[in-house]
Amino acid sequence: MESFPPSPTSAKATLLRHFPKEIREAYARSGATNDPAAIDTVVLGVLLDHVPDKARLAGLTLDDSVALIADLGLDSIALAQIVFFFEDLFEISISNAEIMGVRTVGDMRAFVRRKLADLSTAPPV
Amino acid sequence: MRRSAVITGLGFITSIGNDRTEVLHSLRTLRGGLAPVEFFGNPALPVKVAGTIKGFSVESPSWRDWRYPERYQLSREQLRSLAPHGVYAVCAVEQALADAGLKADGLGDGATGLYCASAGSAFLLHHHIRQMHAVRGARGDPMGLVASIAGTLNFNLAAFYRIRGAVGGFAAACASSSHALGCALDDIRLGRQERMLVVGAEDVNAETVLPFAALHALSTNSDPAVASRPFDRRRDGFVASGGAVCLVLEDEETARRRQAPVYAALAGWGQAADGYSVAISHPEGAGLGAAMRRALADAGLAPGQIDYVNAHATSTPAGDRSEALALRSVFAAAGARPRISSTKGLTGHTLSMAGVMEAAFCSLALRERFIPGNANLVEPDEACADLDLPRAALDIAPGIVLNNSSGFGGSNVCHVLHRYPQ
Repeated sequence: MESFPPSPTSAKATLLRHFPKEIREAYARSGATNDPAAIDTVVLGVLLDHVPDKARLAGLTLDDSVALIADLGLDSIALAQIVFFFEDLFEISISNAEIMGVRTVGDMRAFVRRKLADLSTAPPV
Repeated sequence: MRRSAVITGLGFITSIGNDRTEVLHSLRTLRGGLAPVEFFGNPALPVKVAGTIKGFSVESPSWRDWRYPERYQLSREQLRSLAPHGVYAVCAVEQALADAGLKADGLGDGATGLYCASAGSAFLLHHHIRQMHAVRGARGDPMGLVASIAGTLNFNLAAFYRIRGAVGGFAAACASSSHALGCALDDIRLGRQERMLVVGAEDVNAETVLPFAALHALSTNSDPAVASRPFDRRRDGFVASGGAVCLVLEDEETARRRQAPVYAALAGWGQAADGYSVAISHPEGAGLGAAMRRALADAGLAPGQIDYVNAHATSTPAGDRSEALALRSVFAAAGARPRISSTKGLTGHTLSMAGVMEAAFCSLALRERFIPGNANLVEPDEACADLDLPRAALDIAPGIVLNNSSGFGGSNVCHVLHRYPQ
């Protein structure tokens, strides 16, 4: 018998369920230690997941200079979805104005690291 | 001289089969597509059967979880803006294009249009609205709107296939895709388009199905083998279904020039509303009778020339009765007695997509030379007196057929199709 809809699950717990094991493990580490390397791994994993044409990645070294739109082929909708993904994943809030300046892989890495650092140093409310 | 239109391609994702061969087999052998379901994990709900789509898994609001047959290739950019029934629709369009001998990258010449019908995805819309409430309106998925509102089919398919001709969607509930097909015929007759893709599709999930239970329109019979029984005395409501069907309609000369295979000609259509009730058919089927007469007049035919009628009959007590009375008013009054069947005994009721799906069934019947039967009809309702309702499929080649549809608000649409010399 088919069951509609399937049992509900926690959205945050399942966000990375389709990602490779190393990304999920890095995410677990990033939460426990705020480890910049682990955060970088998650950021790159999420970016790569949103690349529409994986063939574009062939021969591309994902250094900080790689452009999100021109090199990876992301469109504005994909960028918005990436932002929402990070918001849900890291429980941060990102405004449109903040994300406007993010154009490269390096920008994105630095941006997420900064947001998480701000979060950890924010005074309790 | 008025242009003529022919049907050159069909694609099916339905409860009775996911391609033409399967569907044809089901129609010929009365193999039904209904199955047990449990909505919201609640065994107390009285609705226990639906026309399920096999080979797909689209129950999650996230496209990342969806599964569909490997023969179809959908990119991330396609999936992110689709509803569950949009996945069915892309698969049906791919089939229909291949069937018609058309290439997907050849549809952007402005001579090809696209008319669609679906109710949108209440399931996905609810998901996105719930998310919006959770963040007090602060943000939402950028694809939420185009994936879920009515129109999602035409938004997506027009973009995927780079269609630059007439594009639109129709919202007349269960008559929607019949309107789409009729208007597509007009566009070809008027020379506005050479080719039209007509697509109907619906989700099959709790959010689409259960609102009809609130109207007491659904069967509470728990046996999938007999729950849908149009025209039968013991019918107690319809069994909901969905899926997708795509029909390619072409200007006859265009089809002939490219030596396209032809299923049938679409010879005319007519529509008339009941002007009676928001949700219930006119008790004597006044609007449906008028729509049938208008379709016959448009095709230049008399009732006696119709060999077969694919009835709308969904298996509701009131709707089937009113259609039976309308059929009697058109045919019995003219001394005509065409064979009549409702294929919904096999498929269940596919809502917006019913009209184009059943036009596609009629196309198969014309080309493959058979008449579909009435599944699960044991004892006809007394309103069906004088109607010829074959139980099994008949190996009789119909020459001209009529296809009926009705929807909320008393919208009624009928098409006339005829056999095309092969």
